[in-house]
Amino acid sequence: MIKVENLTKRFGRVTAIDNLSFEVKAGEIVGFLGPNGAGKTTTMRILSCFLPATGGKITIGGYDVFRDSLEIRQKIGYLPENVPLYVDMRVKEYLNFRAVLKGLAGKKKRERVLEVIEACGLSEVKNTIIGRLSKGYRQRLGLADSLVHEPELLILDEPTIGLDPNQIRHIRNLIKGLGRSHTVLLSSHILPEVEMTCDRVLIMNKGKIVASGTPGTLVGVLSRNPRVIAEINGVPEKVIASLEKVPGIVKVSCDAGAGREWNRYVCDCRKDADVKPEIFRMISSNGWLMRELAAEKRNLEDVFVEVTMEETEP
Amino acid sequence: MRNFLAIWRRELAACFLSPIAYVTMVFFLVASNCTFLFGTIKNVGNSVFLTSLLFASIILWLTVLVSVVSMRLFADEIRSGTIEMLMTAPVTETEVVLGKYAGALTFVLFVLVPSVASIYLLAIMGPGKGIVDTGAVIAGCVIIFLIASFWMSLGLVVSLMTKNQIAAAISCLCLIWLMLFLGNIVAAFPFISPRAVTFLSSLAHVDDFARGSVDTRPVILYLSATVFMLFTAVRVLESRRWK
Repeated sequence: MIKVENLTKRFGRVTAIDNLSFEVKAGEIVGFLGPNGAGKTTTMRILSCFLPATGGKITIGGYDVFRDSLEIRQKIGYLPENVPLYVDMRVKEYLNFRAVLKGLAGKKKRERVLEVIEACGLSEVKNTIIGRLSKGYRQRLGLADSLVHEPELLILDEPTIGLDPNQIRHIRNLIKGLGRSHTVLLSSHILPEVEMTCDRVLIMNKGKIVASGTPGTLVGVLSRNPRVIAEINGVPEKVIASLEKVPGIVKVSCDAGAGREWNRYVCDCRKDADVKPEIFRMISSNGWLMRELAAEKRNLEDVFVEVTMEETEP
Repeated sequence: MRNFLAIWRRELAACFLSPIAYVTMVFFLVASNCTFLFGTIKNVGNSVFLTSLLFASIILWLTVLVSVVSMRLFADEIRSGTIEMLMTAPVTETEVVLGKYAGALTFVLFVLVPSVASIYLLAIMGPGKGIVDTGAVIAGCVIIFLIASFWMSLGLVVSLMTKNQIAAAISCLCLIWLMLFLGNIVAAFPFISPRAVTFLSSLAHVDDFARGSVDTRPVILYLSATVFMLFTAVRVLESRRWK
């Protein structure tokens, strides 16, 4: 669906996007992650034909973004960051106006406008002036606008920003539902959000893609060792010495306090090893007690921090 | 075409929804009619055409009206970011520029009509003043419309270049006043023929038309200048997409 090759964008001397290449297949929900200023919004603006690229080639559904801008704009639904809207219009009036601009007319237009009002939960505010709407409603109106002409590709720049947890859940389900028939490219700062909605994640930093893959595989390729945490009742020095002998454990650290019976031991393990049964066997053979043994849960946040911090702190 | 009509309607509605436009509308009607009234009172007994007085007072305040109406055309969209929504919809730059231009111009026409009608009010109230020369009124309306079209297109280009509405209005007003007195400024140079004044001065054109003497040269001048300005506006808007 989207094919980006060597995309570069410079603003004066600042390089916002640096030789970016990626692909999005039809029907995928792809999440764009990255710290502020990573180039996510710029990339999305270029994809939606709002900004020209300095270099590189982008095709969407076989059309070139630079040459066939009108066809592409017909195919995409774009929700910009901060959702700029005409604050003096009423909700339904605005959607009607947008629907006409996007080539809908007559009965089809009326139907689609009602459908998106329903789908985005705008029924109760459809006659309200946009300037009086809350942030959440504006966000949903922007989303409704991007959906109104049934685009093949949705480009959503932070679609859940400013929403409360219930609304986020609503929008998330909406996007997931859309993902069956549409291709979705969304950006977000909320990592669990992306983890739950997206089939694939692209992490950007300083105009480059620093990691990409499914949320699961990304967590798997972390360079840092996985950790196991054990809470053991025993003499700390002896426990540490024994733990270090367990095959697969690389390093053990402990925040043991003097006189405390129970202590937490954090064991860095080799990637492929499952050390938990070994730890259990070692503990029981030593006659110590154990009340917790858990593998540290790692999520996209760790991946995010790792791939983006490496670049900023050499 | 459908896009053009949609944007035209939206722009016209925005004019009627914005408080600035209403304030300007009232201000314009009061100011231009007062100027006309004072002009009439002051020239009692002189042989001055009523229509000349009317259209001179309209053109004087039209400068402010056009500046204020045109300032928000693009500046407001750029500042609030709605231009991003507009330009990522499948519309061409020409449709956007023409739609907005037509919307703003329609609003100005709405404001001008009661202003021109005031001469008939005067005729009804004071039968001694004589019968209004309808031909001259029509000719005056034509030249006022042409000048308003040109100034509006100028204001549109200015509005495209800034995101600050005030800056747009002031720049536009300066340019319009320059246009208004361009003939007189040019005539001040000794090496330029005095005939240049009649070619370039908007005030002279209005005076001619308001007396009922219709000349095609100003018509061509304002039409071509308007087309050129609109063409420039389309190009300026397009240039945002250039590599």
